[in-house]
Amino acid sequence: MTAREIVPGVFSVGAIDWDRRLFDELIPLPQGTSYNAYLVKGEEKTALIDTVDPAKEYELISNLCRMGIERIDYVVINHAEQDHAGSLPMILEFFPDAVIVTNEKCKDLLIALLHVPAEKFRVIRDREKISLGKRTLQFIITPWTHWPETQLTFLEEDRILFPCDLFGSHIATSDLFMSDERTTYVAAKRYYAEIMMPFRTSIRGYVGTVRGLNPAIIAPSHGPLYKNPSFILDAYADWTSDTVKNEVVLPYVSMHGSTLKMVDYFTDALIARGIAVKPFNLSKTDTGELAMAMVDAATVVIATPTVLFGPHPLVVYATYLANLLRPKVRYASVIGSYGWGGKASETVVKMLDHVKVEVLEPVMVRGLSDETALRGLDRLADEILKKHQELNLV
Amino acid sequence: MATYMCMICGHIYDPSAGEPVQGIKAGTAFDQLADTWSCPVCSAEKRLFQKA
Ligand SMILES: [Fe+2]
Ligand SMILES: [Fe+2]
Repeated sequence: MTAREIVPGVFSVGAIDWDRRLFDELIPLPQGTSYNAYLVKGEEKTALIDTVDPAKEYELISNLCRMGIERIDYVVINHAEQDHAGSLPMILEFFPDAVIVTNEKCKDLLIALLHVPAEKFRVIRDREKISLGKRTLQFIITPWTHWPETQLTFLEEDRILFPCDLFGSHIATSDLFMSDERTTYVAAKRYYAEIMMPFRTSIRGYVGTVRGLNPAIIAPSHGPLYKNPSFILDAYADWTSDTVKNEVVLPYVSMHGSTLKMVDYFTDALIARGIAVKPFNLSKTDTGELAMAMVDAATVVIATPTVLFGPHPLVVYATYLANLLRPKVRYASVIGSYGWGGKASETVVKMLDHVKVEVLEPVMVRGLSDETALRGLDRLADEILKKHQELNLV
Repeated sequence: MATYMCMICGHIYDPSAGEPVQGIKAGTAFDQLADTWSCPVCSAEKRLFQKA
């Protein structure tokens, strides 16, 4: 990617990864991603804000070379993860006099993850400022807006916020600024679900902190920049709030059709009661889509067949992931089938120990559901309706 | 006494068990923990705990 000017003296110098399709060997990237790094030139000093994934380190270096940058005084590291800090060793080879500016926890992590020499750092405190000459960088330490060391950098005079991963989206695009609201909204929500949702309670408090800075531009480390910060701040306020929607997310697997029959019946039962339902066949589902559906659903019902004596491994995978991502769902239940016996529903419920949910009585059926078994699903649908009514969602 | 859950990692503070690794005795209520107390698993601050 070629470097681009955001405002005079402030440039986007990172790299676009058009081809990457998987992040952390876990998160699907249907639209690729970018690693945004920024260069800020003051009258006296020049600062680089974050770097890029080491796979793209030569693109960052080549952007800086083509711009004729001979000196970097500060490298601000907002977050120690390798997709942003990973090219730091290379930057230090090319710019050996550069001082790394970050908080204490991030310094610790950078030393552990990248073996950066301890004497290269200038440790800053919350709200500390560094002058570049007619330009000032202010640092806001915001632990657990993803990792324990995460911080934001604010360029005061131009009112540009560099929040690193927070507010980002995985999209590879040649647009510097967001051009299509709808596409960006969906990508940013998906990204929030996969990366930020576990830290909802912590992030919620910082949305106001960011509004207080009154930024003119938000420049995250993945995806396009926002010229209209309230677009992404309003979205984050909504996603991190305690408000849930009249929706049931229904991840399922069926081996021979018995569980599928229950899923089909239950889907119709919910629709008939005016409840939105999102079934996901786990053997075909992109986990990002499933995570995104859980951002604001009030209820999750997991449908599983019984493999030997427990839930299907794909259900175990999805449940484990949900427990890690900790969506704000209020109610959970399990439906499914078995042949000989087993403890599929108990195992699934036990796996949800990190999600604050009320568990509604599971419906497990031996073999193919008959009329009596289907009444059990009606009962569960009625109970969900009642719960959603109590929350004033219906 | 109420248990509290860490909103970052999901660790449960159970007053009946205390937090032996941190030297916090069984029977210590969540409210009695110092404001500087942090999660023994992920070191998130006390304010990031909610009633479980
Ligand atoms: Fe990250
Ligand atoms: Fe990242």
